[in-house]
Amino acid sequence: MKHTPFIAAALAICLLLSVPGAAQDVPAARLPVLTTSAGQSNDVNTLNIILEQAGVKYDYCDVPTVDMIKAGVGLGGQESGEGFHVAIKTDLDKYPTGTPYKTIIFAIGASLKGMGASGLTIEHEAKRLARVINYCKENNIYIIAVHSGGAATRGAEGSDNERMIDAVAPYADHLVVIESSNKDGRFTAIAKEHSIKLTEVQYALNIVALMKTEFAQ
Amino acid sequence: MTRTAIYKMSLAAIFGLVSGIAGYQFYEHRHYQAPIIAGPGVTRVVKLHEYCPSLKGTPADTDVFFLEGAGDGGTVLLVANTHSNEPAARLTAEIFLENCTIQKGRLIVIPQFNNSGSRNTKPGDGYPLYFEIPTAWGKKKFRMGNRNASPLDSWPDPDVYIHYPDRSLLSYLDVRNTNRTWPGRPDGPLMERVCFAAMELIRNEQVDVAIDIHGAETMFPVTNCIVAPEKSSRIATMVQLMTQAMEGFTVNVYPSPQNFRGLSHREIGDYSNAMPFLLEAPIPFLDQPTGPKTEELLLTGRDPLLLSLARQGKLFVPYDEYGWPMKNRVGQHCSVILEIMNQLSQASPERAVVAENVPRYKDVLEHDVGYYYHNPATADPARVYPN
Repeated sequence: MKHTPFIAAALAICLLLSVPGAAQDVPAARLPVLTTSAGQSNDVNTLNIILEQAGVKYDYCDVPTVDMIKAGVGLGGQESGEGFHVAIKTDLDKYPTGTPYKTIIFAIGASLKGMGASGLTIEHEAKRLARVINYCKENNIYIIAVHSGGAATRGAEGSDNERMIDAVAPYADHLVVIESSNKDGRFTAIAKEHSIKLTEVQYALNIVALMKTEFAQ
Repeated sequence: MTRTAIYKMSLAAIFGLVSGIAGYQFYEHRHYQAPIIAGPGVTRVVKLHEYCPSLKGTPADTDVFFLEGAGDGGTVLLVANTHSNEPAARLTAEIFLENCTIQKGRLIVIPQFNNSGSRNTKPGDGYPLYFEIPTAWGKKKFRMGNRNASPLDSWPDPDVYIHYPDRSLLSYLDVRNTNRTWPGRPDGPLMERVCFAAMELIRNEQVDVAIDIHGAETMFPVTNCIVAPEKSSRIATMVQLMTQAMEGFTVNVYPSPQNFRGLSHREIGDYSNAMPFLLEAPIPFLDQPTGPKTEELLLTGRDPLLLSLARQGKLFVPYDEYGWPMKNRVGQHCSVILEIMNQLSQASPERAVVAENVPRYKDVLEHDVGYYYHNPATADPARVYPN
């Protein structure tokens, strides 16, 4: 997408509207980065477009296994198929195929349709995420958890959306949420309990500026 | 005459009276004409049967309005009232028809896509037959239609609707549902012919973007959103990000399922070069656990049962005492459509469509929907199209 004056103005406004102090005080993340979904909602596509707007090059897989992540940049040559999506957009000159990922970003949000298309149940998805997160922790891979779906991807206690939050948010190094996702303060409580850096922004578009800062180092 | 005979005759008389009154009301509703005014941007109007001759003379035929700009560009199609019990669609389409001028490219509008469905009702749910929108010159009266075409026009229903060409098995009702009969065929059931005509229009007029405007229950997960297949998902996501940040409302983006056939957001993309988008705005009137299905509920979206459910976290949209008034739904549709055009124009400048004089979300909230409608009684009769 071209950076027209309209988008540039919008991004500038959104940057100004961000939570004060959030942008200059975020933890560092490093490239190469893999984006993935926790719950198979469309929010991972939103995340990918946010990274593109931020100029951050990434690899993407909606349901990566530990073996794929172990294979590093390029995900071991995986290709998209039915219910399985892969995109390799990492700068291969800087990070050749096989370079270990330094950061993984999870887009949290449950979709029964999305999980169904990938042949998953909520239990399978939670177990898959636990394996991936364990691998990240064992290998010092930095975890960013993003909740950008707002109220639409929140729910009653024990609902699919809340279980996806339980599966990822407490293990993140950095939680990024929009205001309407955190109206009940759930992410604030998780961040406090687990000593996780929390950045709350007003709109999902604000995450563009945040990601630019996050990956600038 | 025995007492039993008198009893039977009384029952028959009451039945006849009730049937007669109801029949008269249904007849009036079916034949009521709600005028559509072609505003300064409308350059020509054709019938849908021009794209599928077998529609000619049927109750499913409908008007197609062209708004053509001076500059070259792309083409956007707006389809409204695919489901005529989701009337924010037609109200939005009429705002475009009466006010919009096109500077670059073309806009094609079908304000009453399922014409037969708009002349049908749902008596079992107690639907109102009409609703009225207040304007500066009085009230504009619209038919409240139904989701499906009338069985008077598309009959008989099959036991199971076998989708063409995929052969998926769908509900028998879906043979009358113009969001299950895409891409259609020229000699199929009536609603398949409607969709085939629209597909021919999309292909022949080289439509770049096709927008199908809907409404959905607050308890249905796919609501307050844009449904888009992969080819449209980037623009849809940009629209989500921009409208949330710049206009203060949130619509989500949901992917179009690949194996659920017959829907506009799936088949238009698969059977043409156009990028389809299906817009859903919340319509509490359609939720099942509500009070009576009144005109007030339709227009305000306020209901105490839904409010109670919202407090239990059972709804998929924000919901409080404010409800979901019609102006919010129509305003969202206007802004989302304009932003889709804007994103199309940025992604493909040579296929840009530039529209002017269309209100955005905040404008509709400030002035309400009726502010944008003109008086058909004082309009040029040649520009008034009864529907």
